[in-house]
Amino acid sequence: MRLADVLNIVQARFFLPDSVQSPSPSVLNRELRVGGSADLMSDVLCYDMSQGLLITGLINPQTVRTAEMVDVAAILIVRGKTPPPETIRTAWEAGIPLLGTQMTMFEACGRLYMANLPSAVRFAGAPPPDCTAH
Amino acid sequence: MAQLPLSEQDMLVDRGAGFITRAEELAYELKVEQVMTRDVKTVTPRTLIIDVLNLFREARISGAPVVDQDRLVGVISIEDLIRALRDSGRSELRASVSDYMTTRLVTVNVYDSIIEALKLFAKTKLGRLLVVDRAGRLAGIITKGDITRGLLNALQRDIETEELKRYRASHLFEDIISDRTSLILRYHIAPRDFINGGAASSNIKRALLRLGANPQLARRCGVAVYEAEMNLIIHATNGGDIEVEIEPHQIVIHVTDDGPGIEDIEQAMQPGFSTAPPEIRELGFGAGMGLQNIKRSVDELNIESTPARPRLIMKPKRGREEWELSREPAPGQGTRLTMKFFLQADQSLERHSSTGRESAE
Amino acid sequence: MTLQEIIDRLNLTVLTEKKDFTAITPSGVYASDLLSCVMAGAHRRGLWITLQSHVNIVAVAALLDLSAVIITEGSTPEPDVIQKANREEVTLLLTPAPTYTVAGKLWELGLREG
Repeated sequence: MRLADVLNIVQARFFLPDSVQSPSPSVLNRELRVGGSADLMSDVLCYDMSQGLLITGLINPQTVRTAEMVDVAAILIVRGKTPPPETIRTAWEAGIPLLGTQMTMFEACGRLYMANLPSAVRFAGAPPPDCTAH
Repeated sequence: MAQLPLSEQDMLVDRGAGFITRAEELAYELKVEQVMTRDVKTVTPRTLIIDVLNLFREARISGAPVVDQDRLVGVISIEDLIRALRDSGRSELRASVSDYMTTRLVTVNVYDSIIEALKLFAKTKLGRLLVVDRAGRLAGIITKGDITRGLLNALQRDIETEELKRYRASHLFEDIISDRTSLILRYHIAPRDFINGGAASSNIKRALLRLGANPQLARRCGVAVYEAEMNLIIHATNGGDIEVEIEPHQIVIHVTDDGPGIEDIEQAMQPGFSTAPPEIRELGFGAGMGLQNIKRSVDELNIESTPARPRLIMKPKRGREEWELSREPAPGQGTRLTMKFFLQADQSLERHSSTGRESAE
Repeated sequence: MTLQEIIDRLNLTVLTEKKDFTAITPSGVYASDLLSCVMAGAHRRGLWITLQSHVNIVAVAALLDLSAVIITEGSTPEPDVIQKANREEVTLLLTPAPTYTVAGKLWELGLREG
């Protein structure tokens, strides 16, 4: 699935720095291998998200940093949230396209899953996620 | 980042694809004034057709802008000359440019992206466009050839810059002779700085890639140091320091702070153990997976921590009639995390024993 | 679609005491790991997908009167979380699948936000 398809499927738009008017066509052609959704960044680090689409409701710059560490191809912000300028700038500098949709995480995942974007796979040996009672 | 040229055929194909993508991006980034021809032969409306013909032949050009006292008034091309000859034969060579020039001008601005010029070429089928400055004066002309040349030059510059950077970085360990060469990167992490959180990890990951580390290794180091960096931001009272020691066969990352320390390291290593407050969880952190992610990513992990013992501080108030008591953590405590990554022989950062990327020689 | 059908179709493990799940029809679905988002966005009697298994999820689920919480990625809660859920009559379901896949499958089954 290409990034251009994601734009259509979840009716997304790009978040770009003020100095940039439109994304280059090559970004739209970027191929996405898998999808993964989480609002917990440590959990994202447990998945093989390389060349994947990260679907999240988090809008702070750490979202981008986390994505950068695991070689994510693009980030989709759900629930109609607008990221602050520092997040947009960080994404632009890291070369990671930042998209936003009005849809909830459930709907965005549902539509992309139905359009055959496969799920990211957990790394072998990754810890079980949050199982705390502390 | 552009792929470096490699000898294998499939790599060349990848490289070609990378070029096309980058060229597309450059079409948006490069401005017309960066690729246009500035030194333009011009004629005036009063120049004779015969002189235009001679000019075209000598300068090996097929068209020229017509300028009247600094003002761009038209353009004359070889097609216009042919029309003049066809109309009335050799006698018309004594006619002037104003009789045959085209006054309907197709122009681009010096500050336009070259993509605008490409769109105009496609729309008008013209071979050259006139370039005007902000005041509407002729600044140059641009042809498809200028654009191709400009794109190729820019691509070449891109590649040379990146190759030079990579070359310099990746030869570090063989250019300098010592018994043990290591490169040390140091970063200070400010407490609660969620805006810049992760910037150090990002720089470390990029540095490793440039030094020739393979992407999997760079990712493992990135994930581990990122979790450690976020720990400093969330937990360490005064932030802390990250020191990355890069050697050809191993990478050692020290993360130190003088924060509250870890009460029980074994408990902290349990998946899901977290002391993070709810507001940190709402930021997407503090789910108790950080140390687990670090453990998974490293080859060796060493944690030393001295939990801060409270220190009672007494200060006299109002002429020593009363004493103010306060508890503060004793200084010089904190946590030191040492993460080691061992590079296999085929991942070594020393060029002569590495297998990939042998391009820049 | 009843909760029983959802449990069967997605092969979910029921962690809390069994109820008559055929009598429960979730009003919609919400996926998030941020409690503040769930508080603002999830519908009453809805389903909530999250990988959090912290005790706070029970409080949120009880407050919003959710039909069930689907805990993803095999993130098994501690026994005291399950006990608290039973006391509060909150249904906790578990799956090894990630949130993305669970959301995808529920969408495929025709469930919507509500």
